[in-house]
Amino acid sequence: MFNNKKIVINGIKDNDRMSTQALLQLIEEKVEEGYTDFEINACGQHDIGGSSWNKEGKELNFRITNPGQRVGGMARKGTNIYVEGSVPADVGWLNSGANIIVNGDCGDTAAHCAASGKIYVSGRVGTRSGALMKYDPKFETPEFWVLKNTGSFSFEFMGGGIAVICGYDCAGIKSVLGNRSCVGMVGGTIYCRGPIQGIAKCVDVIDLNENDKQFLTSGMKRFLSAIDKKGLADTLLDFTEWHKIIPLSTEEKTKKISVKDFRETQWVEGGIFGDFIEDDMSVFELAATGKGRLKQPVWNKEQCINCELCIKNCPNDAISKTEDNKYLSSDDKCIGCSICATVCPKNAWTMQNNKKEIS
Amino acid sequence: MTKVTINQLHKDDLPWIIEYDESKCIKCGRCSATCSFGAIKPAIEQRVKSGSISEKNKLEKVIVIKQEIGFANHCRGCGMCERVCPNGAIRAVRNTDDRYSIRYRSETAESVKKGGRSNLNTEGRTLDKIKVGRISQMTDPSLDALRHTFELKTPFGRVLSADKLGLNNENGKMIETKTLPPNRWIYPIIMGDMSIGAVSWRMWEAMAIATAYLNEVCGIPIRMCTGEGGIPSRLLKSKYVKYMILQIASGHFGWNRIIDAMPDMVEDPAGILIKIGQGAKPGDGGMLMANKVAKYVQEIRGVPKADLLSPPTHQGLYSIEESVQKMFLSMNAAFNFRVPVAIKVAASVTSVSVYNNLLRDPYNIVGGFFLDGLAAGTGAAHEISLNHTGHTITSKLRDCYKAAVKQGRQGEIPIFAGGGLGQTGSFAADAFKLICLGANGVFSGRLLLQIAGCVGNDTERCNACNTGLCPAGIASQDVCLTKRLDIDKVAQNLVNYILATDLELRKLMAPTGCSSLPIGRSDALITVDKNVADRLDIQYVC
Repeated sequence: MFNNKKIVINGIKDNDRMSTQALLQLIEEKVEEGYTDFEINACGQHDIGGSSWNKEGKELNFRITNPGQRVGGMARKGTNIYVEGSVPADVGWLNSGANIIVNGDCGDTAAHCAASGKIYVSGRVGTRSGALMKYDPKFETPEFWVLKNTGSFSFEFMGGGIAVICGYDCAGIKSVLGNRSCVGMVGGTIYCRGPIQGIAKCVDVIDLNENDKQFLTSGMKRFLSAIDKKGLADTLLDFTEWHKIIPLSTEEKTKKISVKDFRETQWVEGGIFGDFIEDDMSVFELAATGKGRLKQPVWNKEQCINCELCIKNCPNDAISKTEDNKYLSSDDKCIGCSICATVCPKNAWTMQNNKKEIS
Repeated sequence: MTKVTINQLHKDDLPWIIEYDESKCIKCGRCSATCSFGAIKPAIEQRVKSGSISEKNKLEKVIVIKQEIGFANHCRGCGMCERVCPNGAIRAVRNTDDRYSIRYRSETAESVKKGGRSNLNTEGRTLDKIKVGRISQMTDPSLDALRHTFELKTPFGRVLSADKLGLNNENGKMIETKTLPPNRWIYPIIMGDMSIGAVSWRMWEAMAIATAYLNEVCGIPIRMCTGEGGIPSRLLKSKYVKYMILQIASGHFGWNRIIDAMPDMVEDPAGILIKIGQGAKPGDGGMLMANKVAKYVQEIRGVPKADLLSPPTHQGLYSIEESVQKMFLSMNAAFNFRVPVAIKVAASVTSVSVYNNLLRDPYNIVGGFFLDGLAAGTGAAHEISLNHTGHTITSKLRDCYKAAVKQGRQGEIPIFAGGGLGQTGSFAADAFKLICLGANGVFSGRLLLQIAGCVGNDTERCNACNTGLCPAGIASQDVCLTKRLDIDKVAQNLVNYILATDLELRKLMAPTGCSSLPIGRSDALITVDKNVADRLDIQYVC
């Protein structure tokens, strides 16, 4: 902080509140002038700490009280934000690399669309927090650490990044992720400690592995130190109550037993018509042979003149002749087309209906 | 040469003509072996051997495929011959100049009978003129069809208004002071309503399996209506009967077996549907031709092999009031008032009177009103009924719903609408629009057959369900034909279609901002047709 130019800005002066535009333009002016340390006593002005940078590449430090929505919204890498007290909605919205610490609770949609940087919260966060967090491999993974719990619908459509919900001070709360969280989650990882209920079906809740424990151990120290709660380390690093939530792959989401397997393993054994019908459920192709034929030829010795036209014209070579001039049609070859009966000059072959009712 | 006279039946009298290209035919016989109607057969024709003068009049015999000319075995245009021909040598072509309707009646003194739907299509299709026009954007949040949670459930059973529930508060606890009518929350689509007999055992079981699978594996609480052709005891005694709505129609077929199975039933059925009439042939009872009354159908139904013509009415019922007092009461009593009982009627100019009467049912035993429109399908009907009787579903559903709204009693007797849904390819859209117009749910049968492989359509293709010669093995009881049907494939296709429809329903619910069914939300609908707008009381747009 040595050599840093520091400035204090009050969002309210003589009972006159600065507009968000005036405050943000003043900050920008001071950033241009080379100020890097800001103490901002805000009066609900929005978007403080966002999208600014020092021309010489120095870090920008904001210490903020009483901000409005979207504190740290669109904040860049090299920005450090510390908020004393609770904040309203959208803290760290579209965070692109800033370190944001909130020493208090956050309103709705905290860390919404955060794509890089770290957001540390020493209290609870509201509904839809962590929604649409993402990870761009060219940048650092976004991290979102919450000491207590989230509201409902958190982590909707999450696409990447890591969220850690520590479940501290949550006695009596049925779900540290609220209800219907993780709807549409396709990427990223959520670690959470304590009970979870009503979570979306598109995710899997699994146990921690060694890498997870290592990540949490090292990350937890930084987090607790940042929010000045080092004493909780032992409690929070007892891994017995932790879960890891990851999205299911598209294949896993749609994986179901096939209807055929369902019929064979769970359906009424032998089929519901088993009392009436013996049916192995095999399928006859069109123009089938054997029992699948609609018609079958029958040979009448009396009529036959042994001209062999049937043998010559049978498209399936199904007809053969024995030594004593008996004509046979092979059930395995004949499809019942009735060409034999058609070409026979004497009606020695006739077609018999093979169609029959089930008995 | 055979004699040709003008008054004999000719090929060009028939609705379909076989187009045959001899140069491509390899005489494999697959087409004639496949045709279930016997509409094509090999034949011998003569050809001039060569064109030379010295060989004049030298003829040779060749095998060709010829179309049969007759009423019993004429081509229905099913196209199976084209499917099996390795060379594309044969196909059925629609005869636009046919004289079949005149010839059949004048030769046989019979009315024309067929299956399928009305083939006239003169009434147009109102549902296709309606669009979902109320899209939530800034006014209220739209939802994500893929990822948000939707409640696609509708009540089946009598719904009482709050003041009639008889709930009391005793020491902070809610106490029921009287037995409430049974009510089940089910998926807004009911499948089936086709009897064993009308469809093959494989088709019927495939529907039952698909229903069970959708419930057990997919968590979709869809129900299947059995139709009235009896129910196999094995199904009655299985846990899956809880997904079945048992039908009783005027034939009362198979109910002795249901009664017999009662002590062994481990679950109650999903409901009971009293079928009074059907949209395809209102005023007619069920009709199953003798060639489909297989031995097991005879057993289940308790009848001999004969044409089974169910009476047009339940013979013990003479009025709406009596049907409530007698039929509803008996069917409620059958399962000790635990199972909702609904009624199915064909849409008619009188439907509102019927619905209003049912709404006044003092016993709260009327659990649903199924309204079937004229575009519904059937396994067999007189063509005259199919094409010329009935009432379109859309306005009649709307009339009934609005009649209930007028009394502040909408939803008390849930309305289910059916008849021609999915006819133009979008089942989910049809279902959604009808729901917005006041339906609690919809039902569909004909579409399921098409999913299963039925090639029939509403422009005279096939529609031979009544003959029992269904080339797809769907509307047949013949072993060779029925075994053409792959039960697992059919059940899987039914499941897949419902899953796709479920997604598409959500794709319509989401932009309208509805996470539960938009029953009666006609503000979501618009039309560019002023007459439709006026009649249905929805917004006219241009």
